Amino acid sequence: MSRLSAATLLAVPAIAIGGLMAYVRSPHVTFQQHPVEQPIEFDHRHHAGDEQIDCRYCHWTVEKAPSAGIPSTTVCMSCHAQVWNKSPYLTEVRKAFFTDSAIPWVRVHNLPDFVYFNHSIHVNKGVGCATCHGRIDQMAAVQQFAPLTMSWCLDCHRDPKPNLRPAEFITSMTWTPPADKAEAAELGNKLAEEYDVHSRTSCSTCHR
Amino acid sequence: MNTKPDGAPSQDTPSTFALPVVSDRTGASPSAHTHGDAVEQALEHAAQRSVPAEGAYGKTYWLGLEEKLATPEFLEETRPEFPVGADLPPTGFVRREFMQLLGASLALAGASACSTRPSDERMVPYTKTPPEVVPGNALHYASGMTFAGHTSGLLISAREGRPIKVEGNPQHPINQGAAGIFEQAFLLSLYDPQRARVLRQGKAPRALRVLAEELATLVSKATDGGARVRFLTEPINSPMLADVRNRILKKLPNARFHSFAPIAQDANNEATRALFGQAVATRYDLSGADVILALDADFLESRPTHLAMARQFADRRDPKNGELNRLYVAEPRFSITGGMADHRVRVKSRDILGVAAAVAQAIGGQVSGLAAAAAAKAGELNADLAHWVEAVAADLKSKPGKSLVIAGERQPAAVHALAHAINVALRNTDATVHYTQATTPEASGFGEVNALVEDIKAGRVDTLVVTASNPLYTLPSDAGLAEVLNPATNPNREKLGVLYAAHYEDETSDHVRSAKDWFIPLAHQLETWSDGRALDGTVAIAQPLIQPLFNGVPEAEFFALFLDEPYRPAYQMLRDFWAGQSGLTAAAATFQSDFESRWETWVSEGVVAGTAANKVSATANLEAANALIAAYTPPASGKGDLELNFVADYKVFDGRFGNNAWLQELPDPITKIVWDNAAILSPATAKRLGFESGDMAELTYQGRKLSVPVTILPGNADDTIVVALGYGRNGLHEVVAKGIGFNANALRSVKAPWFDGGAQLTKVRGSYTFARTQYHWRMEGRPLALDMPVSQLTHPSEETEHILERVKGPIEPELQNILPGADFDYSGGYKWGMAIDLSRCTGCNACVIACQAENNIPVVGKEQVGRGREMHWLRIDRYFQGNENDPAMVMQPVACVHCEKAPCEYVCPVNATTHSDEGLNDMVYNRCVGTRYCSNNCPYKVRRFNYLHYTQGKAPTEKMLMNPDVTVRNRGVMEKCTYCVQRIERARITARVEKRLIQEKELKTACQQTCPTQAIVFGSLNDKSQRVTQLTEDPRAYALLHELGTRPRTSHLIRVRNPNPALAVATEHSQAPEGGH
Repeated sequence: MSRLSAATLLAVPAIAIGGLMAYVRSPHVTFQQHPVEQPIEFDHRHHAGDEQIDCRYCHWTVEKAPSAGIPSTTVCMSCHAQVWNKSPYLTEVRKAFFTDSAIPWVRVHNLPDFVYFNHSIHVNKGVGCATCHGRIDQMAAVQQFAPLTMSWCLDCHRDPKPNLRPAEFITSMTWTPPADKAEAAELGNKLAEEYDVHSRTSCSTCHR
Repeated sequence: MNTKPDGAPSQDTPSTFALPVVSDRTGASPSAHTHGDAVEQALEHAAQRSVPAEGAYGKTYWLGLEEKLATPEFLEETRPEFPVGADLPPTGFVRREFMQLLGASLALAGASACSTRPSDERMVPYTKTPPEVVPGNALHYASGMTFAGHTSGLLISAREGRPIKVEGNPQHPINQGAAGIFEQAFLLSLYDPQRARVLRQGKAPRALRVLAEELATLVSKATDGGARVRFLTEPINSPMLADVRNRILKKLPNARFHSFAPIAQDANNEATRALFGQAVATRYDLSGADVILALDADFLESRPTHLAMARQFADRRDPKNGELNRLYVAEPRFSITGGMADHRVRVKSRDILGVAAAVAQAIGGQVSGLAAAAAAKAGELNADLAHWVEAVAADLKSKPGKSLVIAGERQPAAVHALAHAINVALRNTDATVHYTQATTPEASGFGEVNALVEDIKAGRVDTLVVTASNPLYTLPSDAGLAEVLNPATNPNREKLGVLYAAHYEDETSDHVRSAKDWFIPLAHQLETWSDGRALDGTVAIAQPLIQPLFNGVPEAEFFALFLDEPYRPAYQMLRDFWAGQSGLTAAAATFQSDFESRWETWVSEGVVAGTAANKVSATANLEAANALIAAYTPPASGKGDLELNFVADYKVFDGRFGNNAWLQELPDPITKIVWDNAAILSPATAKRLGFESGDMAELTYQGRKLSVPVTILPGNADDTIVVALGYGRNGLHEVVAKGIGFNANALRSVKAPWFDGGAQLTKVRGSYTFARTQYHWRMEGRPLALDMPVSQLTHPSEETEHILERVKGPIEPELQNILPGADFDYSGGYKWGMAIDLSRCTGCNACVIACQAENNIPVVGKEQVGRGREMHWLRIDRYFQGNENDPAMVMQPVACVHCEKAPCEYVCPVNATTHSDEGLNDMVYNRCVGTRYCSNNCPYKVRRFNYLHYTQGKAPTEKMLMNPDVTVRNRGVMEKCTYCVQRIERARITARVEKRLIQEKELKTACQQTCPTQAIVFGSLNDKSQRVTQLTEDPRAYALLHELGTRPRTSHLIRVRNPNPALAVATEHSQAPEGGH
C-alpha cells in the first residue's frame, strides 16, 4: 500500500514533467504541420512539382548568403508577364509589381533571433533543401516540416553524414539515400570527405 | 604626508600585490595545508613565488590619485570589488526618463526567445532586387566625413540599405584603413532621432520651394552685387563647394564669405603665412624622425592628420623595426601624446614659448636672433627646466634632418614660428617636415568673426547665411555674435535675416526665430554626395549610404540656391564639377572621353587619384618670424593666480558631438570621466588651494564666473586649470547633450582663446559626483601593464628578470591549473589569438567605439556607469607610475582574453559560457540566467552584465543602426568580448564555400581593423606566418595574470621606452620617494 502511494507520489510529478517536455516538443508548439496561409495563393506543388522549376530559380541567394531569400516581385513577373498574365490569382502580384509595393509574405520558418542559420554553408556542404524543408513540392501551402528545435539541429551537427547528398541533387525533392545501410554510410563518408564536412557543435557556430 | 614611499607600500593597502592574502591565511589557519586542495596549493605556490611588496617589481603602478595616496576614504570605498550601489535596484525618475531617451529594443532579439512565435511575422522582399544586393550580405561603400576643414576617407558597411559600421578607407592616404572615434560615432548621429527635421521661416514650417523662391528673388534683385549678404561657413575644403562659392561671388560680387572653425590650425597658418608669404599646409613625416619635441602638441590625437602620424610614430616604437624614436613633450595638461613621451615635462602654457626659445637658443645658428627675441619675451626658465631643455636641444642637434619640433594648435603663432625656424635650422625641411599648398587658403578664425560682427553692428548686413557648426555656442563669450543676433541686445535685429543651416536645433538656431530668419535642416553627410580634401590635399568623394531620413537639405544644394539656377541634385553638381576638372590630370585631352570610367573609379575607391597638394618650394623667411614674436604678448602671470587652459575635448570635440551618446559615454582617455567635463588641477595645486576631487568651485576669470566641479589629475602642470570645451550644451532638441558638464566658452575671450593667466578658483559649498570607469575592475596593483626602457630587453636587470619570470616564466601544470584534467588539443584548425602591443597603443579609444558599433553595445548613462555598470566590452586601463605629481602613463586595452583554462566557465550553473574547439570562450546569451558567477570569477573583470533593459525603447531609426549579425542582449544577460565571432563565422563560411582556409587579411576584429597604430593584431596562432603568431612569440609578449594559469589567448607586449641617458639621472631624482608631499 505504502509502496503504491509512494509510486503514485513519484509518478505524478514525473508524468507532469514528462508531459510538459513532450508538449514543448510537440508539433503544436514547434508549429509543424500548420499550413500557413499567404497573402497570395502561391502553390509550390505547381511550381516545384509540376513545372520542376529549380528551387534556386526563385531562392537564388541560397548558395551565397545566409538567407535563401524571398523572391522579389520581379522574379514572379519574369514568367507571369508571359504566362497567366491575366489570371485573377495574380492580381495582387501585378498590383505589387506595378505600384512598386511589397508583398507581405508570412514567415513560415522562424528561428529565434539569437540563432544565426546560414543557408549557403549547408547547401554547399551537401545538405539538401528537402532535408530540412521536406517535400515542398507536395505542399499546397508551405508548412514547417522539421521541428527546428536545437536538439534537432544538433542531431545533424553531431553526425552530419546521414544527411549529406551529392551536390547535383541538392535541390532534388525526390532524392533518397541508398536503401542499403552500408552503401548509405559509405556515401556519407565519401561526401563528408569530398565536401570537407565536420561536426561543428561549438555554441558560437550558431549563437553570436 | 600620508603617502608611502614607492618602494614599500605596506601589506594592508589595496595597492599591494593581492596574492599575499594567502600568506595571511596560512598564518591564520594552518589547516590550509592539510586540505590538499589544488586551488589552495596553487595560490600558495603563487604566494611563495611572489614577493611581499610590489615595489620589488621595480615600479609601482596605480590607477588614480586616491589609490596612490591610499587615503582612508579611498580604502573604505574601494575595498569591496564593486562600487557602492552596484547591486541596487534602479531608482529614481531621471534614470527612467533617460532610458526612454537612450535605451533600445527587443526588436532584434528576445521576442522570439519563447517558443510561442508571433503568429504573423511578415517577410517583405524587394519589388526589384538591386543587382548589387544579396540580402543577408553586407556591401561596402567608400565615402568620407568632413569636419573642421578636413575630410577623412571612410569605408562604410551597409546591410540591405542600412549603413551599420564605419571604418577607415584603406585606400585613403591619411586613414589607411583606420578611423578615429569621431568618424565611427558619426554613424550614430546619422540615426539620431533628435536631428532637426523641419525647415522653418521664423517659427512657421515652410517648404524648401518657398525658400528657393525667396533666395532667387534676393539674388536676382540684388542691385548692389550682394553687398549686404554675408556667409559664415566652416573652412571650405570641398573643391565642389569652393566652386559653388566662387560662382556665388560672381553672381554677388560684393557678398563676403567668412570662415570659422573653433578648433583649427589658425596659429600655424598665421606663422607659415608669415614665413613663406603664402598659405601653406604643414605635414609631418614621423617615419624618419629619430627625435621629436612636441611643444604642447597633441599630435597623436588632435585632428586632422593624427591617424597617419600615429601610425608612423608607432612603427618607430617597435624594437624589431630598428632604433626607437624618442619623444619629448612639454605640455600643461596630460595628453595622449604626453602619455607616449619618453620624457615629459609639465609647464604652463605660457612657458612653452620660453621652452621653444631656449631650445632655439641652444641650437643657435640662424635661429639665434629669433631665440633671443623670444627669450626676452618669455623670461627665465627655472633650473630644472633649463637642464631638461639643454638635454633635449643636444639630442635634437645630434640628429639633423632626423629630428622634428611640433607646436600645438593651442599655442600662439610665435611658438609655431619658432618651431618652424628650429626645424629649418635642423635641416628637417623636406625630411620630416613638408610644406604643401594649403587646402583651405582663406583666412579663418576669430578675426573673420570679428569682421562680420563689426559689419552687422554698422548695419551693413541684411542677410547672414550661417553654415558654420553652431557658432553661437563655440565662440568665446565676448565674440559679439550672440549680442548682434539677439533681439534683446540688438535693436536693429529685425532688419537682419539670418539663414542658419545645421543638423540640430541648437544654441545658434535658438537665435534664429524672428520673422525674416530661416532654419534649414541639413542632410547628414551619409545622406548626400559631397567631396572634400584631406590636409594633404587628397580629395575623397563621399557618397551617400541612405536617402535623407529627416528631410535634410544637402549642403551643396542649399548653397546652390544662391546661384538662382535650375535645380540640380547634389550628385549632378558633384559630377558636373568633376567632369570639368580636366586640368587636374596630366592627360587632359583624354579626360573627357574616359571621364565615366574615372568617375566610377573615384567613387568606388573614394579617393581622387593624384590630388595630393603640391610641395611648396619657397624657403622660410625667418626674419618674418621676428614680427610675430614682437607682436606677441605672453599672458601676465601674477603671483598666486592660476593659468586657465581651454582644450578641445577628446570626446565631443568642440561640442558638435555632444548629442552623440557613444562619445558621451566613452571614458576620457586620461581622466576616465564619462558624461562630464571638469576643472582639472594638479595634486600639488589642489593641495595648496585645499581642493579635493569632486569639490565644487567658482572659477573666476576676467570678471566672469562659472561654477565648476574640480578633479585632480596627476601630471597636470602646477598652478594651471584645464577645462575641456564642448560641454554645457543647451540646444533645444539636443536632449542627450543637454545639461552635461559646464560651458567653458562662457569664460573664454577671443583675446586669449586657449590660455591666459589671472584665473581664480574659490571653493564653494557642494560637491559633485563624477562617473568614472577608473576605479572599477581594478587589477589590484599586480604587474599588469608592463613598461621598461628598451635597454632592459637586451640587458635585463635583476628586477626586470624577476618581473619577466613572473609574467612569462614556466607554470607548474600540477599547481597552476585551475581546470585540472587533460588539455584540449588545439593544434588542428584555427587557434584564435590576439596580441596587443602596449608600445604602440596610445589609448585613443578608437577600438572602444569600433567594438561598440560592431557588437550592438548599449549606452547606459552616467548614473549606471557610476555604479560600475558600463557595458564597453573593451576597456583601456590607464596606469600612472612614479611620482604622483609628475607620473608617466601606460595604456592597456583589456577585453576578454579568452583563457584556455577559463575560470568563468566552470562556475556557470547553466553552461552559458563554454569553450569552442578553436579556443573561443563563447557566451550563449539565450542560456544565461544572470547569476553573474562568471563575472565574479573572472580575474580580468571583462564581463559585462545587463542590469537593466538597456536596449529598450529605441527610436525606429536607432534600430536601423544595429548590426544584424549580433544578438541584441536583453536584461539579465551577461556579455563580453567574443573576438568578433560573427566576423570569424562569416569569414569561415566564405572560405569554406570556396574550399580554402581563412586568409589573415580577410579576418580582422573590429578593434584591430580600426586601430590607427595597429597595436591590436588578431589571427590564428597555428599559422606561423601570421603577424599575431610572430607577436605572441616576441620576447616582449606576456600573458596577463600569467601566474593564475588561465592561459590567456590574448597576449600583451611590454611597452618599451627610449629614455635619454642625459636625463635619466634627473628622472631618478624626481622619482625618489617623496616624503615631503
